[in-house]
Amino acid sequence: MDLWQLLLTLAVAGSGSAVSGSEAAPAILGRPSQSLQRVNPGPGTNSSGKPKFTKCRSPELETFSCHWTDGVRHGLKNPGSVQLFYIRRSTQEWTQEWKECPDYVSAGENSCYFNSSYTSIWIPYCIKLTSNGGTVDQKCFSVEEIVQPDPPIGLNWTLLNISLTGIHADIQVRWEPPPNADVQKGWIVLEYELQYKEVNESQWKMMDPVLSTSVPVYSLRLDKEYEVRVRSRQRNSEKYGEFSEVLYVALPQMSPFACEEDFQFPWFLIIIFGIFGLTMILFLFIFSKQQRIKMLILPPVPVPKIKGIDPDLLKEGKLEEVNTILAIHDNYKPEFYNDDSWVEFIELDIDDADEKTEGSDTDRLLSNDHEKSLNILGAKDDDSGRTSCYEPDILETDFNASDVCDGTSEVPQPQRLKGEVDLLCLDQKNQNNLPSTDTAPTTQQPSVILAKENKPRPLVISGTESTHQAAHPQLSNPSSLANIDFYAQVSDITPAGSVVLSPGQKNKAGISPCDRPPEVVSLCQANFIMDSAYFCEADAKKCITVAPHAEVESRVEPSFNQEDMYITTESLTTTAGRSGTAERAPSSGMPVPDYTSIHIVQSPRGLVLNATALPLPDKEFLSSCGYVSTDQLNKIMP
Amino acid sequence: MDNKGWSLKAGSLLPLLLLVSELLLGQSVASLPICPTGAVSCQVSLRDLFDRAVILSHYIHNLSSEMFNEFDKRYAQGRGFITKAINSCHTSSLSTPEDKEQAQQIHHEDLLNLILRVLRSWNDPLYHLVTEVRGMQEAPDSILSRAIEIEEQNRRLLEGMEKIVGQVHPGVKENEVYSVWSGLPSLQMADEDTRLFAFYNLLHCLRRDSHKIDNYLKLLKCRIVYDSNC
Repeated sequence: MDLWQLLLTLAVAGSGSAVSGSEAAPAILGRPSQSLQRVNPGPGTNSSGKPKFTKCRSPELETFSCHWTDGVRHGLKNPGSVQLFYIRRSTQEWTQEWKECPDYVSAGENSCYFNSSYTSIWIPYCIKLTSNGGTVDQKCFSVEEIVQPDPPIGLNWTLLNISLTGIHADIQVRWEPPPNADVQKGWIVLEYELQYKEVNESQWKMMDPVLSTSVPVYSLRLDKEYEVRVRSRQRNSEKYGEFSEVLYVALPQMSPFACEEDFQFPWFLIIIFGIFGLTMILFLFIFSKQQRIKMLILPPVPVPKIKGIDPDLLKEGKLEEVNTILAIHDNYKPEFYNDDSWVEFIELDIDDADEKTEGSDTDRLLSNDHEKSLNILGAKDDDSGRTSCYEPDILETDFNASDVCDGTSEVPQPQRLKGEVDLLCLDQKNQNNLPSTDTAPTTQQPSVILAKENKPRPLVISGTESTHQAAHPQLSNPSSLANIDFYAQVSDITPAGSVVLSPGQKNKAGISPCDRPPEVVSLCQANFIMDSAYFCEADAKKCITVAPHAEVESRVEPSFNQEDMYITTESLTTTAGRSGTAERAPSSGMPVPDYTSIHIVQSPRGLVLNATALPLPDKEFLSSCGYVSTDQLNKIMP
Repeated sequence: MDNKGWSLKAGSLLPLLLLVSELLLGQSVASLPICPTGAVSCQVSLRDLFDRAVILSHYIHNLSSEMFNEFDKRYAQGRGFITKAINSCHTSSLSTPEDKEQAQQIHHEDLLNLILRVLRSWNDPLYHLVTEVRGMQEAPDSILSRAIEIEEQNRRLLEGMEKIVGQVHPGVKENEVYSVWSGLPSLQMADEDTRLFAFYNLLHCLRRDSHKIDNYLKLLKCRIVYDSNC
């Protein structure tokens, strides 16, 4: 019984082993792995003595080999009893049988080498290791999964460049792919990894995988030696092949003049010092220009003041000085009236009334103070604080020696005028008994002609002349002056807006600038009546009265006849209706009545004076003159 | 099981990064100039076409390798799938060259057609793979996203290959031969073990076939474009 039990157990054991032996059958491949796990629980169990696979690899995807360990340590077993069997599936079913390894030798000891005829890619393989008929190990794989290329060959390096400091250098490392890998036909694609280190170091530095067979290595120190090695792997795999042989890189020695340490430009220090210096300069600047900066930041509020006048003057009450300064300032007023250089102006001022009350114009006129009278004519007002020294005011400036006026520029003109007047006087003298018709027309005609031409300027000029001349006779005869009215008539309004005073009074004045009393302004006949305050009509005809109304048309001139020296108011009316042009020059030979009433106010600058408004000269009123004296007028007017 | 929980968190992050990098690679693939569809006169050079095709096939193989490794790590540990997976793939019926000599001997037009067949054979399985991975419990994002990407890139590679065939071998339009995949029922099995094994098998086959196509294309590129002198 015991023997049977022993035999039974043996048989069971044998069948068990037999069963395990047949586990290689493809249909029950699930078990080999379990048996493998059981038999080979871990790598540390090699001491159990069973051979097992270490690795299988294909270097180029064309062949592969498998290696195993010969677990026999005891040395008792027959070393040649280990066998490898393989099977590969070419069809759906495992119909084939296990085949033995075709080459145990080529790959070394304990290896099996499958050459290209035995290798099929993308085909599952299973191999098993048997020892004394019993499977000791089994493995299944596909060839493309076990690719581990050979190491690259032919490593060499070339120097790329050396840094300027002479401390570092760059090199280019080149190699060749493993010879058995058919890279050229594209059957396998490899990528490489380079590692390098200093000779005495232990840690390798790794670079990223590259696909090309050369790679630059940067920043190697010149005084050190380096080691370089390369390994490769199939591009999509994870396992690398073996490393190539180590390449020794011996760089040329450093030049003795190179710096020991890398010299870094001290940018940091420079920046710090630069900022510090700038800050110092800025502070100095601020401190030196404190006041100015304060002014810039907080500008002072402007206090009202007049340029040149010290407020202290006002405080002290020195009005004279202030007045002086103010007067000087007024000198800088621009010239308004550029075109009327021969026209005297009226300045109608409120202050004039006061002045007049103080000292009547009559008194002033009567006084021999030419300057003042001139001033009055010019209506200059000292008290107003304004000077009226306009350039065109030649008459005033002629005698203008007042302190308020700066008549330096205006002196030549009156002198000129004076000269003309003298010339005229000379003419008169020369002509002596020449009929006034000669002189008068000569002077008249220009005005007439000019009037015909409607040229204001020459007329004005001539008018000015006569005005000027008229003024003088006026002035020189105080008695006649006494009879002169306070008012002057507006003869013209210049375009600039100034009022042209009518020189109508000159006819009455009968004073010539010349020294010959009998001779009027040189324009009048010699036989004018001196004792009469007014020019008589007849006399007036001889005189050129170039003091027209602003509105009186020049048309009167053409009608003015030499013979017909008599200008009545009727003749005036004929022209009164005409629309006046303010610029129209005064017509010559027009006796201007003292008073007229305004007929029409046509424009801001035009007044049509109604000559007819005047009562026609009464015989009583009219003397031989066509004028109405003030007294007469007073009788007429309400 | 703790392992699984931890690996789920950590593992989902890293593959996500990898996937992003791969998607960027895919973008680089997408950024290549492409002839507008339907343009008759547009002629991309053969070299460019092959370059693009190789890039695509390489990318698909990368994705499938990673997907397989991910799956293996996550689901197949300790299940002994590896030996069982020596099962055939559905594309084994296509007689493709199995080593270098065979590949060199075959005419490149035939090889191109073979590639087309393999690619067409995978249209259906990839589509179902995506659907079924979505339905898996704890559907892993890394595997799912890769599956989706592979499916799309496979379609594009197929288009590119058809263009190449049109240039290399114009006129002849072979019948659309491909091998039918019948593994869908096993993917939908109730038994988890069987189902997981079916997935494992499919992913294994996908990795293998993508490597095959990648290799063929590189071979053809060197042969046609560079005249066997890469």
